[in-house]
Amino acid sequence: MIGKRALAFASVVMLSLAACSGGSSASPSGSSGASQSAQGKVLTVWLMNGSAPTTLVTDLNTEFRKSHPGAVVHYQVQQWDGIVDKLVGALSSDDPPDVIEMGNTQTAKFAQSGALQDLTDKRADLGGGTSADSSSADETWLGGLNDSSIWDGKLFAVPFYAGNRVMIYNKDQFAKAGLDPATITSKDKLIAAAKKLQTTYSSVADYSGLYIPGQNWYALMGFIWDEGGAIATNDGGTWKGALETPEAQAGIQDYVDYYKAGSTGPKDNDEQHPEQATVIANGKAGMMIGNLWEIGTAETRNPAIIGKLGVFPIPSHTDGKTATVFLGGSNLGIPAGSKNQSLAYDWVKLMAGEKYQQLMIAAGNVPNSKSLSTSATADNANLKVEAEAAANGSKVTPQDPRWASVESGANPLKDMMTKILTGQASVADAAKAADDEIASRMNTPL
Amino acid sequence: MIAETDTKVGSEPIVGRRNGQGAPSPLRAAVSRLRWALPYLPILPALIALLVMLGYPVLLVILISFQKFGFAELIQHKTTYIGITNYIQILRDPFFLAVVVRTVLFTLSVVGLTVVLGTLVALLMDRLGGRMRLLLSIGMILAWATPIVASTVIFQWLFDSKLGVINWLLTRIGLFGDFTNYSWFTTGFSTFAIITLLIVWQAIPFVAFSLYAGILSIPRELYETARVDGADEWTMFRHITLPILAPLFMILVFLSAIWDFKVFTQVYAMRQGGPAGQTVTLSLYAYIQGISQSQFGRAAAASVIMVLLLLIVLVPYIRRLLRTLET
Amino acid sequence: MRARIARRVAVNLAALVAFVLFAFPVYWMMSTAFKQGSDIQSYTPKFIPWPPTLENFVTAVTRENFGDYARNSLVVTLTTVALALVVGLLAAYAVARARFRGRKGFLLLVVIAQMAPFEALLIPMFLVLRGLHLLNQLPALVITYFIFTLPFTIWSLRGFIAGIPVELEEAAMVDGASRAQAFFKVVLPLLGPGLVATSIFGFITAWNEFLFAYTVMRDNANYTLPVWLVSFQTAFGTDWGGTMAASTLFTLPVLIFFLIIQNRMVGGVTAGAVKG
Repeated sequence: MIGKRALAFASVVMLSLAACSGGSSASPSGSSGASQSAQGKVLTVWLMNGSAPTTLVTDLNTEFRKSHPGAVVHYQVQQWDGIVDKLVGALSSDDPPDVIEMGNTQTAKFAQSGALQDLTDKRADLGGGTSADSSSADETWLGGLNDSSIWDGKLFAVPFYAGNRVMIYNKDQFAKAGLDPATITSKDKLIAAAKKLQTTYSSVADYSGLYIPGQNWYALMGFIWDEGGAIATNDGGTWKGALETPEAQAGIQDYVDYYKAGSTGPKDNDEQHPEQATVIANGKAGMMIGNLWEIGTAETRNPAIIGKLGVFPIPSHTDGKTATVFLGGSNLGIPAGSKNQSLAYDWVKLMAGEKYQQLMIAAGNVPNSKSLSTSATADNANLKVEAEAAANGSKVTPQDPRWASVESGANPLKDMMTKILTGQASVADAAKAADDEIASRMNTPL
Repeated sequence: MIAETDTKVGSEPIVGRRNGQGAPSPLRAAVSRLRWALPYLPILPALIALLVMLGYPVLLVILISFQKFGFAELIQHKTTYIGITNYIQILRDPFFLAVVVRTVLFTLSVVGLTVVLGTLVALLMDRLGGRMRLLLSIGMILAWATPIVASTVIFQWLFDSKLGVINWLLTRIGLFGDFTNYSWFTTGFSTFAIITLLIVWQAIPFVAFSLYAGILSIPRELYETARVDGADEWTMFRHITLPILAPLFMILVFLSAIWDFKVFTQVYAMRQGGPAGQTVTLSLYAYIQGISQSQFGRAAAASVIMVLLLLIVLVPYIRRLLRTLET
Repeated sequence: MRARIARRVAVNLAALVAFVLFAFPVYWMMSTAFKQGSDIQSYTPKFIPWPPTLENFVTAVTRENFGDYARNSLVVTLTTVALALVVGLLAAYAVARARFRGRKGFLLLVVIAQMAPFEALLIPMFLVLRGLHLLNQLPALVITYFIFTLPFTIWSLRGFIAGIPVELEEAAMVDGASRAQAFFKVVLPLLGPGLVATSIFGFITAWNEFLFAYTVMRDNANYTLPVWLVSFQTAFGTDWGGTMAASTLFTLPVLIFFLIIQNRMVGGVTAGAVKG
């Protein structure tokens, strides 16, 4: 049993936590973080911006503390921008956080380096079934997430949730422009709709029928795959960038065409700079390509938009089909250097378990398990659109530890789009330069 | 290491309490025997700090530059030596060579602008009345004192494409065409121009104040005589001011060159080396290789190369500096 | 006569233009900080923030952990400066006043240390701090900034001490004071301005530093103000009002410090106006 002293200490900490303004993170002063973890057990959890709603995590932490009396959960929300760099620093320290969330495109990097705890024999306990093969029925996690959590035959992370992009649109503005999302079934129709919105709202300053920034590389990948292209290919161990192929260039051109339909997004920045949810929340955009959680963000930024945003699938360049999408998602990992391995394990198990996965569904995420995903869409219309789009065609980035370095720092896909949109390079030349950069980063010896 | 053996025996005792008595007590005798160590005691903390906390990390950088040091090695505390592979890879990388050239050109332009404009400001200060000089000084202090992270953000705001005031002013002036929504950060050249402007803006005050202090020390009669002989401003500058202030100029040029070659925060904070790596200088290259790409061995090698390049400017500077120490 | 007046006007005009060029960015930062959101977002910039508002400052200050960041910055900066002054003063005094073997070598070490590209030492320092179990602790930053500041501190103080005639101390010692007493009674008071001027460098280095603070610290509550300011750019998108308010708050201590001590420097500069 936890001693009286630890209990007293824990209650003092919890009381002061309660006294703090209802922010989601406890803040130990300056250097006392390390000394706290020596006494009452403090579990440091890092989740990403936009993943799990604050209420969900608060409830989970409350339940966790009940089942683990004396434990304190120190929860921090991290920004996606620069997170890989931050995780590198954090995981290399002698006191890393106990639970981290990693994008599915980044997990391989941490798995390969030995930074994460090996969870292979805990698969069944964590809810992943008995097989590691995603095509088998005994593997119960979503295939893409499952694959991204495995390296060298071992399981290093636990699938958290998945998500792919859809078209988010402003219902009122569509009505005023006389548009019906059900009729937007191809690229040409999408561009036509964007232009129609543009003329309807020509008096509004800074308005975009279709708001798309220059550097939304997730959307870009979707278009490239939709045209039959690829991002990078592995030829007998050597990676080659595949953006120069005619198919990929067609996808890049699709993106350029969408941008030129009148977007006022920045040519040299991405969907968070400025935050596109704010743009649509302020009525400056008729539609945008985004994740479901951005609807929630928009509603926080401007309550006037609540209930006014709807979704429809991103149309393919071919009429009648939906575009292939990038299947994003996150996994939870336990750093190998964590001082609270078993506590971390229990927390992760709780979050990956059915109860909270149901709550993740309610928040608009695709849950981590195959069975839950199918049942989830029944109740949530937006989620249904999202899941169907993914089912129609979804892909992921190359599953290689070195892919994370393509994403971090200067992303060559982002740079490529900016060069093209500012007229500094043709699609072919920019694609070639990006391919060279991708190849150089992905072929560094492991 | 130049360690001069001083023949001067005049080392005054650092602690020498004259107690007026005759023979010193045994303790005092012991202390006076150890007197030779006394100058070393006060420098000991600094010496230890420098050797241990600076020297050791420098040694580590050199060692790491010969290692394969990636994320896995960092986590697992592994050490794998691979000789000069890192250096070869870097020197073979065409991007690296471009970075070096870019850094040198960038340094030259920043230093050139800073020193020339700083000189002009110093000369201006010399010709001003007290009140105007005070005004100008305050303006310069404002620029000088602004923390570099804040000043970088301010310049990003000034040059914002949609709402930046610079675009508005330029459009109003009309001489340069329409600058509405002009994006300054889409080409490497214009991004560098803004970074240069930022650094020069904050660097001029130091140069100006130093040169002005130097100008004050020049006897006025020299100028009077020259003026009587019919010399104009430029001639007086070339033949009086410049030669007398030459040592000061040299030191300012050296200091600026060293600092501008190394500069990191402003360049990184402005655009993280973008667009498309076109504003990556040597210091950014090392950082990107290290933290972003987790190629710490390569980053270390890049840092070593950077210091070696720096030495080209360093050595003559140090020689000069040590010469002033003789006095 | 005419030429004289024309020259006077031209020179004063140049000074005015220069003043505007130097001061404008700082003015723009502060004026934006006090502007209302609608004025900031308008395409025609307003040069005077009227009516002014404090809402940007409220936004900046109520961002999570601001109090922690400010406190951390202050603590780290003041400790760094104090430590550097103490250690640096000892060394500078010895080097300035005593002649000993290795003096020149030590000075060479100090000069070389000033030239070290500190960002290049990020990973080694990280490894050293990790070995000392100081990662994510404020003392890690104090140590780091202290070692960055020390060389310049020694160099600068040496210069100031050398500028104080040694005869003053000798006179005091003739009167019976020990060297230490001579130091405290004679040198230290005269060194006042020198100490203050030297401490600027340490203050600015510690106050400004971003890279190490971002890498060595980890918990959101342990970062310093530069990290806070940079994070404004990423998380907040383009809230320029908030960002400028944050910058103003960040600049204020340095500005005040500078203005106070530069009074001396400017005083020295304007004193030259009285030419014989």
